Order: sequence, then C-alpha cells, then structure tokens
Amino acid sequence: MTDPRFLISRRSVVLTGAGVAFALAAPWKTRADGVREIRVVAQPGRAPLVGGEPQTEVLGYDGKVPGPTLRLEQGQAVRIIVENKLDQDTTVHWHGVRVPNAMDGVPGLTQPPIKPGESFTYEFTPPDAGTFWYHPHDNSLQQLGRGLAGALIVESPDAYAADRDILWMIGDWRLKPDGQIAGGFGNMMEAGMSGRIGNAVTINGASPTVEPVQAGERIRLRLVNSALARIMALRIEGHHPVIVAIDGQPCDPHEPDGGRLLLGPAMRLDVVLDMVGEPGRRYRIVDDFYDDLAYRLVELAYGEKPMERAAPLGAIESLPPNPLPEPDLANAERHELALQGGMMSGMGGGMMGGGMMGGGMMGGGGMMDGMMGGMKGGMGGMGGMGGMGGATWSINGMSMTGDGQADMPPLLTLKRDRTYVLTLRNETAWWHPMHLHGHSFLVVSRNGTPNPRREWKDTVLVPPKQTVDIAFVADNPGNWMLHCHIIDHQMTGLMTVLRVA
Amino acid sequence: MKRTIRIAALFAAIALPGPALADAIHATLYKNPQCGCCENYAAYLRQNGFDVEVKPSNDLAEISSKAGVPPEYEGCHTTFIEGYVVDGHVPIKAVEKLLKERPAIAGITLPGMPMGSPGMGDDPTMSFTVYAVTKDGAKPTVYSYE
Repeated sequence: MTDPRFLISRRSVVLTGAGVAFALAAPWKTRADGVREIRVVAQPGRAPLVGGEPQTEVLGYDGKVPGPTLRLEQGQAVRIIVENKLDQDTTVHWHGVRVPNAMDGVPGLTQPPIKPGESFTYEFTPPDAGTFWYHPHDNSLQQLGRGLAGALIVESPDAYAADRDILWMIGDWRLKPDGQIAGGFGNMMEAGMSGRIGNAVTINGASPTVEPVQAGERIRLRLVNSALARIMALRIEGHHPVIVAIDGQPCDPHEPDGGRLLLGPAMRLDVVLDMVGEPGRRYRIVDDFYDDLAYRLVELAYGEKPMERAAPLGAIESLPPNPLPEPDLANAERHELALQGGMMSGMGGGMMGGGMMGGGMMGGGGMMDGMMGGMKGGMGGMGGMGGMGGATWSINGMSMTGDGQADMPPLLTLKRDRTYVLTLRNETAWWHPMHLHGHSFLVVSRNGTPNPRREWKDTVLVPPKQTVDIAFVADNPGNWMLHCHIIDHQMTGLMTVLRVA
Repeated sequence: MKRTIRIAALFAAIALPGPALADAIHATLYKNPQCGCCENYAAYLRQNGFDVEVKPSNDLAEISSKAGVPPEYEGCHTTFIEGYVVDGHVPIKAVEKLLKERPAIAGITLPGMPMGSPGMGDDPTMSFTVYAVTKDGAKPTVYSYE
C-alpha cells in the first residue's frame, strides 16, 4: 500500500498538466448479462482549445474535446451505445481495434448511418491490449475536424512497470482569430496537396505550455495523432524516448530513427520516457515535420525535487504480445496498390528540369464540383482534376470518394485465413498514412529493404514516391476500408474496399 | 528532392545579377511547405527582377480567402506584391500590367496549376486566362489573356 509509485501518481494528478486534463474515463456499468456497457453521446459543445473566452464551438463525444477516454479490458466484451445528438448522420469507427465487420462503423458498407436522435449499439470484445482511438466515419472532414474523437485504451491484465501512464491526444485545428473553427472544409486545392492542416495544435483539447514531471520517474506516454491532416515529428530535448508499441501493438523497445517520433494522422506511439533531466529545468518538445515550420508543442517542466526511488530503474521491458495471426510470407498472395493523383503527381524527380508534363496537374476553374460520394472508375493516372466530380486521387486508377457507400465494389477479394502482401506504391508527390480496417499488418519492407523490426501497424505512413510492403492474414470476414487518413485525401478518392470472404 | 529544390532556389538567387536586386520590387510568396512548383515560380519572379521572400505556410486557404480569392479560383501559392495579391502561376506580363495600371482590385489569379505556366513547364506557346479578384466576394472577372 505504501508503494511510492501510487503516492507519486496521486500527487501528480493534483498538478495541472497536459496529461491530466482528461483523466476521467467514461462512466460504465455492468449489465445483468455480464457485459460492460458504456454510453457515449455525439453532440455539440464548447471546448477551451486555446484557453480564454469565448470557448470554441465544437462537436464532441459527450460534448467534449477530446471525448471521454474509453478504458476497456482485453478479452472482455463491451457494449458501447452511441447516441446521435448532432443534426446530421454519424457512425463511430474503433480505429485499430480488430472488431467484427458489423461493428466497424463505416456508413453504408458495414451499418446504416446513425440518424439524428437515434442510437446504435456497438458490441465487441477487444482482442488486443494497447492504445487505440475512436472517431466518426461519416462526414469525417467536418465531424473529426470539429472535434469528434476520443482515446480508446485496452488494458492488459499484466501491469507494466512505469511510474505514470500519460495520454496525449494531439489535435490540430484551423481557428479564426476569434477562436472559432474556420469553415472552408473540402477546399480542393488543399485536397490535392497536404490536406487541411490547422494553425493550433492541442494536447488533450487544451494548449498547455508545460507537462509537469519529476526527475527520476519513468513515464509511459501514449501519443495519439487525431488531426485531419497534420503529420508530426516530435523531438524531446535532452531525452531518449523508447518506443514500446506502434499503433497499439507491442514492438521490441527501440529509440526512434533520427530521434524523431513520427506520427501521421491516426497513428499512435507508446513511448517510455525516463526523466533524465535536471530538477527545476525545462525541456522543449518540438514538432519539426514541415520544413521551416517547426514549433514548440510543450515543455517538460521538472519539479525541484527528484523522485526518491528505492532501486535504480531497470531496462525498459517489452509489453506482452497481442494474439495477432502470424503471416505465412512464403505462401502469401501478392498485390500492388498504386496510390495516384494529387498536385504535381507527374513531376517525379525531374521537376526542376522544367519538363514535367504528365498527369495530376490541376486544370483551372471548374474544380469545385462538390464532394459526390460513390465511385469513379476508369481515370487511370488522373489526367487532371477539372470536371471529375471531386475525385483528386485514386488507387489503381479507381477513385472511391466520401466516407463509405453501400455499393462500393471491392478492389480485391481476399480468401479468408490466407496471407496477403500488399505493395503500397506511392506514385504521388505527397505523404499518405494508409489505414486498413479490421486487421493489423506487419510492415515487411520499405522500398524493397526488409524491415529490421517486427512492426505491426494499422496505419502506415508512405512517403512520396516510396513503397511499403505490408503483410497480414485475412482472418476477419467482411468488407473493409483501406484509405488514406489525411481525410481530404480519403474524401477525394484515396480509398478502396478489400473483401475478406 | 527537397534538397534539390533548395539548391535550385539558391542557385537561382546566386545567378541573379547584382544590380537587379538594388531596385527590385519586393514580393512575399506563401507556399505549402511540401510543394515544389512554387519554388519554380519564385525563381521565375526573381529572374524577372523581383526580390522574392518565400514563406512556407499550412494556412494557404485562409491566406487566399482573406486576400479575396474565392476557393475555386485559387492557385497553389499566394504572392503579395505592393499591396496586390498575385495568386498562382501568373505570367509576368499580367503582373507588370497590374503594377503599371494599379487598378482598384485586390489582385489577380491564375486558378489551379496549369501545365505550361511559369514554374509549371514555362511553355511560351500556351495561353492562360488571368482573373481579377476583389475583396467584396464578387465573382472574379477576366483581367487579361496571356
């Protein structure tokens, strides 16, 4: 009972810091049938995104940004009742959780949308422990862009040795000078470039300047990028974060390449951070992903007193593995998915030479044809944008736009329990965090070079003109989305469906 | 590729004759940090005697909109020259006409990223329609054919 860890963590919660801003989990109860039940309401609200008044008008789960953190237990069934108090349809996608297809939250494809005033009951048993998140899959640009998102943490029955467990949902907002969320969602120029990147980055829905820490403590920091489009690369001055899980799935503990924690939209990293700094000092955490646009996200602010610890910290341990099906690479079926379109897509390496004719340049005028849902075929290579009904991007020459439709034919039909290797070939000039629903996959190689690590993911960042091979066992039957998680890209064609049957 | 662009931009700056800088008109060009063709346009302006400051920004849609350019008339980058907005890959003749005549408009735009335009292949045989924009949200009108 006198474990110093608990004393520390209680004292820390009293401090105001980024990590404690929404420590409250959603209320839940256990029904007579033994299944835990959680209720979440999608509704308008106000949130102090940048502090001060008036607060920002948002859409949020339980009216909050981020929504309540859902803490589930690995292998324990849960029932989550989502009530729609918005003025538009919605659904919830449990990002990264390997749920049955009917619980996946894609409107039309896996369920009818939840209409205003109605509810939908999601019921599933999370097979994997880890850091996941939930967000809408309907009118995603507006709904996610106005705040609907929350963390979903699946607890392992095995405790992990860290003094504190901190969650940072990192959000990105485009705010007007009056602090309200700017309109202009679906700008076609942005859709063809890097998507709607905002001008205010928040941690757990606030703009903290410091995260209070104590010298000597070991923190498990769960990072979730819930932005529409912003890619982040975090450096922690004077510290050596060790990655222990990627997209919720445990990995061999390792320091990130180049010391930068790279997080595309929808991606998560669990890092273990030993507080090796000096008491009383501050250390900056800087995001320097975009050239010449580095900014300070937050500072670690050390208290004056180091933590008293009976024994020195041991090596950073691996998390217990999740029950993922092991791909049979020797007998895998292989397919290539070419990501195409966007601005400058025909330029390639020769763009400085002036000879850059090719597909993908935007035609002038007539590019605001609206975001028609559905599917557009036969535009291989994306010769241009004008008059294409909102399609800017394509996968193997086919563009599925919007959020999900009942009539989306699958690009591939995968045989159940067979191993597949998909080559994601990014032919565009832009980065794409590609998300597969219903499965976690192994990143087996990048640009043909075998991955030195076992890296399970559900969202893989594919840099411009690069190739990533992913492998997975198609063990989860149903129609599953595969799309870019830069939502502007998803809405304008960088999406397809894989059927597991 | 990024390095190539940087080096090319640097080369363009060095290649400028000294005297041109002395009486150069200042231009501020806002561009997506990951877009390469905008650097080509900056080099084009420099070749035509402008002193160009390139500022990467993720807020281009807001910058264009505030400057009076409707979303469907946006170019891929936004330049400000002597109080006027010059959006996209506008040919230099239109810019010079603007600065000479100084009309009561917010500025001019070449929508999209047309192939063959300055910084997009520089094809002298191609023609482009440049539009005039105002701050009152009115529909842009044709400013010139280049």
